[in-house]
Amino acid sequence: MQEYFKKISDLLFNALEKSEILILNFDAEETDFIRFNKSKVRQAGKVNQVNIDINLISMKKTLRSSLRLSTDFKKDKVLIIRTLFFLRREVNELPKDPYLMYEKNQNHSELIENKGINSFDITMRILDISSSNDMVGILSSGKIIKGFANSFGQFNWHESDSFNFDWSLYDKNGKAIKQNYADQKWNQETFARLYEDSTQQLSVIGKQEQSIEPGAFRVYLSPSALNEIIDMMSWGGFSYKANKIGSSPLHLMAKGEKSFDDSVTFSEDLSNGISPRFHSDGFIKPENTELISKGKYEKSLISPRSALEYSVTHNAAEDYESPVSIKLNCGEIDNSKILSKLDTGIYLNNLWYLNFSDRNNARITGLTRFGCFYVKNGEFVGPINTMRFDETMYNIFGEKLVGLTNKQQLLMDTSTYEERSIHSSTIPGAIVEDFKLTL
Amino acid sequence: MKEDFANIVRPLLPNVDYCSIRFVSRYSNIINATRNVVEPVFISEDEGVMVTVYNDGGCGYGATSNTSKSGIKSAIESAIEWADFTKNRLTYYPKISGIKKQSGSYFTSEDEQWSKISMKDKADYLLEVNKALKSKSSISNWGAGIRYNSIESQFIDTIDSNIRQKLSYILPQMVVSAEYKKEIQTRTYGGHAHARQAGYDFIDTIKMHDRARILAEEAVALSKAENCDDKIIDVVIAPDQMILQIHESIGHPLELDRILGDERNYAGSSFVKPEMFGNYKYGSECLNVTFDPSVTSELASCNFDDDGTQAQREYLIKDGILQRPIGGLFSSQRAEMDHVACSRSCNWNRPPIDRMGNINLEPGQTNFSDMISSIEDGIYLETNNSWSIDDKRNKFQFGCEKGTLIKNGELKSIVKNVNYRGITESFWNNLTTVGDKSTFEILGTSNCGKGEPNQTIFVGHATPTCHFKSIDVFGGV
Repeated sequence: MQEYFKKISDLLFNALEKSEILILNFDAEETDFIRFNKSKVRQAGKVNQVNIDINLISMKKTLRSSLRLSTDFKKDKVLIIRTLFFLRREVNELPKDPYLMYEKNQNHSELIENKGINSFDITMRILDISSSNDMVGILSSGKIIKGFANSFGQFNWHESDSFNFDWSLYDKNGKAIKQNYADQKWNQETFARLYEDSTQQLSVIGKQEQSIEPGAFRVYLSPSALNEIIDMMSWGGFSYKANKIGSSPLHLMAKGEKSFDDSVTFSEDLSNGISPRFHSDGFIKPENTELISKGKYEKSLISPRSALEYSVTHNAAEDYESPVSIKLNCGEIDNSKILSKLDTGIYLNNLWYLNFSDRNNARITGLTRFGCFYVKNGEFVGPINTMRFDETMYNIFGEKLVGLTNKQQLLMDTSTYEERSIHSSTIPGAIVEDFKLTL
Repeated sequence: MKEDFANIVRPLLPNVDYCSIRFVSRYSNIINATRNVVEPVFISEDEGVMVTVYNDGGCGYGATSNTSKSGIKSAIESAIEWADFTKNRLTYYPKISGIKKQSGSYFTSEDEQWSKISMKDKADYLLEVNKALKSKSSISNWGAGIRYNSIESQFIDTIDSNIRQKLSYILPQMVVSAEYKKEIQTRTYGGHAHARQAGYDFIDTIKMHDRARILAEEAVALSKAENCDDKIIDVVIAPDQMILQIHESIGHPLELDRILGDERNYAGSSFVKPEMFGNYKYGSECLNVTFDPSVTSELASCNFDDDGTQAQREYLIKDGILQRPIGGLFSSQRAEMDHVACSRSCNWNRPPIDRMGNINLEPGQTNFSDMISSIEDGIYLETNNSWSIDDKRNKFQFGCEKGTLIKNGELKSIVKNVNYRGITESFWNNLTTVGDKSTFEILGTSNCGKGEPNQTIFVGHATPTCHFKSIDVFGGV
């Protein structure tokens, strides 16, 4: 596929006129999607898709076109040359773009990790192990490719095989446990252990449901639950532009009027190599950007466009200015003693469908889902009924934070809208007091 | 769309129990002007095919962006390979005899074609709208945009079906925020609500300039307004909030694949059980909800779904009583229930699943003025800005951009940060009055997410203004 991208790139670069600049972004994936319900296959198939984004720049004007490619060169050649001619004609009609910025230096990179994944074999193993349970979920497995080239000569390539199996086990009362296994190479021992963990939790969730009334509770938020809250924070919270225009839930914190607890340090950390470090306009992203340091707002993610609009220095963030690989530093709560530290309260494994109640003040709402338990004197009592919470981020990460756990979990994004996500999070758990449940 | 697609593909159809081939070609164009600058214009061209094979107790699909003959052959091989593998391992294998041959077409009517207006004219227009939005010094953010999507499909199968459809829709958007003493309030237009199947003529009809000035004034007023009080109160809900209420607490819980458990790992299931259809009192007697693919210009109007089932209007809820689910042919076979043509896919690279089409709340008899004058103490809610509901679609909380207090039958001052919460099973029984046709609006949302693998699709909702009694309303911090 790399050779194909180079062949197309050469074709386009050779067709350029002197004053023109071209930026190309290439995306491809070859994915088997196997959907399960009741421990059988609900839908299964293969998707092959190839895409190229062509950004023509001429006289400080820009116009972009995204094309689906067939990888039949004869067919694609007609499409992309026609598109180049169209862009050339139309770009002149548009006004100059005052926030146009692109990399002119050459920063080449290449990462290829093809470990080979057999989706049929994995599916058989999943069906075998789950045959006596009510399992529902999705296996996404195969190759993901990201490429970049520009007419200055830069070339970047990021290609890897990976799988992501995301599943839930249901008991006869409709209570469920959620689990996930994602990696580049299938390890049956690891999978069997994770699956065994979830079947053991099923026995706890099978206990008598504990009916919770609205009120304030001491809660443990697992890494998955905390990640949902951090996802909401990322709706502009770390964006320089969103803080400027006021759509950031953390705009008061960015202005220095609010803070989190000293133990809270967030960073955008690309060192795990899951997401490529090259930006869609060719810049290379820093490996680590500290966003919130010891509870204080440190730095935003700044795209090149925002840098020009607000006269600041960018840090190679994409235009959407939200993290792709966020990390929250560990705390001091012993991960093996979460229940005793929680003592009496609610153990929240997952939260669901979060949104804002008051964005100005970072107040959010959402619901409990999958594996949420009432805990008394450090012992699981039973699962709780579905409850709605309504709480501010400043309470959760600030004055109501008891502490963060001393072990992080790597969470791979399971999103497959349009394409498989390569975003991830590295998050510990947290214990929070007076967490408000409202309905 | 290739004119000769059917002729090329028919000879490739494999000898299996049943096979369909769905070709999709999509064009998208997004133009935005933000804070008086035209952002990079985005154009997208996409085409591909999905082959679905049912054979001997197994089912599989193959999807590819390679629409050449060799690419389609390869997709057929993938579909057969997965069909072979899943033999006797499927949750459900359909009754193939229930699939009927269909032929026909559907095309959105575009009085003024999108392509006839130059990119420059569209950009200039949006810059003018920007000027109308930035009409006050306290406005901190503003922007306007137009998105155009055109989705052309052709469906053929081994029983000689041949369906061609082309759906085009336009989504205008405006946003304006005002700041007062570090309180930022935002008004929007479009976004979650005002998408229509139409040509560029739709833009002429909605008068974005005029709306822009009103939105700007409202954003400034909201930034200085009082917080909404916490209380149990009567609410009157405008169509641009009603559509989210219908979408989340009627549309999603009635999706049959949720009821059958397919979505339990992601979008969730439903409080609705199969035995409730035909007898369950979903709401008050004035609640009438239809699946209606026939409304001109509504977002999901069409003649066929993506599994080739012919679409027609059906009641989902009649006089408050639950009638039928939103389930396509295959789901309805699984559940042994009636179907609607709702098996839809977002593109060639995702398989069809049960989706809302046009889910409409039918108008009643009361005009807006009479509705307001009947209320002693209440609040009028406009424009959704927050939505959250549990995985069984029962406990919900929604937020609105603007609230207007109603006192002794009259609209009074506006309040900010308006939220309300409730439980679906009781909420619709509090529906007191349904607005007449003068309050009825055809709206739709372009971003309904569901399914594994994930899919975002456009959904139509048409609704009048509605009055509910005794709702739990509250404000911000």
